[in-house]
Order: sequence, then C-alpha cells, then structure tokens
Amino acid sequence: MIIPVRCFTCGKVVADKYEQFKREVRQGEDPAVVLDRLGLHRYCCRRMLLSHVDVIDSFMAFATSESPGAKQS
Amino acid sequence: MEITIIHKQSDAIHFLVEGVDVAFANALRRTMLTRLPAMAIDEVIVIENTSVMYDEMLAHRLGLIPLITKLDDYNLPQECDCEGKGCSLCQCTLTLEKEAGDQETVVYSRDLSSQDPKVVPASGEIPIVKLAPHQRLIVEAYARLGTGAENAKFQPVATVAYKYVPVVSVDKTKCDRCGACVEACPKKILKLDGDKVSTQNTLDCSMCEACVQECESGAITIDSKKDSFLFKVESSGALPPDEIVERAADILKERVREALEFAGSL
Ligand SMILES: [Zn+2]
Ligand SMILES: [Zn+2]
Repeated sequence: MIIPVRCFTCGKVVADKYEQFKREVRQGEDPAVVLDRLGLHRYCCRRMLLSHVDVIDSFMAFATSESPGAKQS
Repeated sequence: MEITIIHKQSDAIHFLVEGVDVAFANALRRTMLTRLPAMAIDEVIVIENTSVMYDEMLAHRLGLIPLITKLDDYNLPQECDCEGKGCSLCQCTLTLEKEAGDQETVVYSRDLSSQDPKVVPASGEIPIVKLAPHQRLIVEAYARLGTGAENAKFQPVATVAYKYVPVVSVDKTKCDRCGACVEACPKKILKLDGDKVSTQNTLDCSMCEACVQECESGAITIDSKKDSFLFKVESSGALPPDEIVERAADILKERVREALEFAGSL
C-alpha cells in the first residue's frame, strides 16, 4: 500500500529513504548508486525500495472524506 | 577479553573482540536483539481516521517507528510500581492530528507530538499515511518500554552480526603469480604487487574461498583466528550503538549472576 516502515528481513528503517530514492531515480540516476548512497547495503533492504509500488495512490482515487460510521447516521 | 573499535558511526559500530568463545559472542548478540529494552508505540486510540488506510494498519505502522529511548527515565511496565497498568513512569503519550486541505498531504512521523520532549521519533521523515483532500486523522498513541523477546518492534538494533576474523595467507613458493585470485575475489582483498600477490583489508574477507578455487597451484589458504570475533551492530535509532553494546553487556552480566545464584542455592 505505502512503503513499509522497516525492512521485513532485518528491521532497518527504510521508509524515510523512499522519497529521496524515488526522486533521484526519476531524475535518471542509477538505482544501485542511490541505494548505496542511502546506506542500504544489504540486499534485503534494497529490494524493499526497488520492488515497492505505492498502491495507496490508486486507492486515493476512491477516497471520501467521511468515516464509514458517519455515513450511516 | 580485549575490545578494539574498528569503526564508529552515529548509527552503527564495528568492533573486534578477542579472547572469547562462540558461546559468549552469541550470548552478547542475542542479548542485544531480545533482552535490551527500547521504546515503541504499543497502544493506539484512533479518534478519527477517514484515510484510505485501515486503523489496524495505521497502528502497526506507528508501532514500527523507532523512538529515541532514555532507558534511565522509564521503567519496564512489568517492573513498575503501577503493576503494568500504565503511569507516567512507564508510559509516554504521543498525539497526532492532521487534516488535508485542498491538496494531498503526507503524514510524517515528525507530525507526532510527544508529551516527553526526549521521546521522539528517531527519524522524522517516515511517511505514515497519505491523506486525500479533506481527509482527517486524529490519533492518540501510548509508547512504552519493551524487549525484542516480546515483539520485534522493541528491538533497538537492526542487525547484530559477528564473524570470525579471516586469515588470508599466500604461499610464495607455490604461487605462480597468474593473477586469477585477484580477479576472483569479490572484496578485492588480493592484489598483484610487483612480482608477488599481497593482501589488503583482510577484515573485509567474507571467506567465500573463491580465490582458493581459482588458484591452481593451491597457494592460497583461508583460515580463521580462534577466539576472535568481528561484531557489527547497527542501531535502529532508538539508542546509540555504543550504548546498546554497553547495556547489553550489563544485562548479560546480571543474568549470569542470577543463574549462578540460583545454581548455588540448589
Ligand atoms: Zn534489510
Ligand atoms: Zn507504571
């Protein structure tokens, strides 16, 4: 849905590095170089960012600003 | 026992321990992983959440955020005078309130406001959830001390690993200076130095023995030093890495003392 807070395997925090990763890769940098610079040296942490798809953006297309409980009353 | 710090950063420490056996090295590692307490959000009251994310998922994400821990300021709930009910000595309240305007808004861990200015997220840049226009999030969270044995979110470390100290030796009489080992080594430990093969940064050696396989004359041997271990401790941000090692050693000492006392009472 949204970038996981920590690496599933080792528990390192990866979420705070995702935005920079996404921005720099979009600017055409090599993902491997960006990951090295972010300090993600193990392949368990690297796959967290490399393989992530932000599905929350698709969900938000169907968003309402009311809570389900409020709708019923 | 002798400890040499090889390399120290704000979030990781690398050190060499000499004169101990595997059992001790592993006991120290496991103490750091499972017995050393750290703060984490453990209970969340969702007052309002109109985002696309379920309350449970939100609470889970909040729990995983590492909080800066002052071990002397808080009690473990089970050791507290309140008997685990939760009081200001064993609990810290954090609140989060955010509403998106006409734009999409990302809620970050820095938006959490803590009752105790010392207990704050180790990183403020962790995205918690995205809010679509006019969506709202009001949350109250309670952080407490806990250990990795209970839940991995309390672990103050990401990785703690140790390895044997590698000893790479090249037999000069057998070596024919073909250079195949230099090519094969993924860590660039071997290098052709004039007319002989020499070694550099041997501590980086992962003991894959690719060089041994490549060497047709059998000149290279990879061995490990007995009773010496290279530790790598990576903090989650909750505690500084050197404090993790120190505190873990204290906890281990205390547990050994308890075990001996029990054995003595039999
Ligand atoms: Zn990892
Ligand atoms: Zn208490």
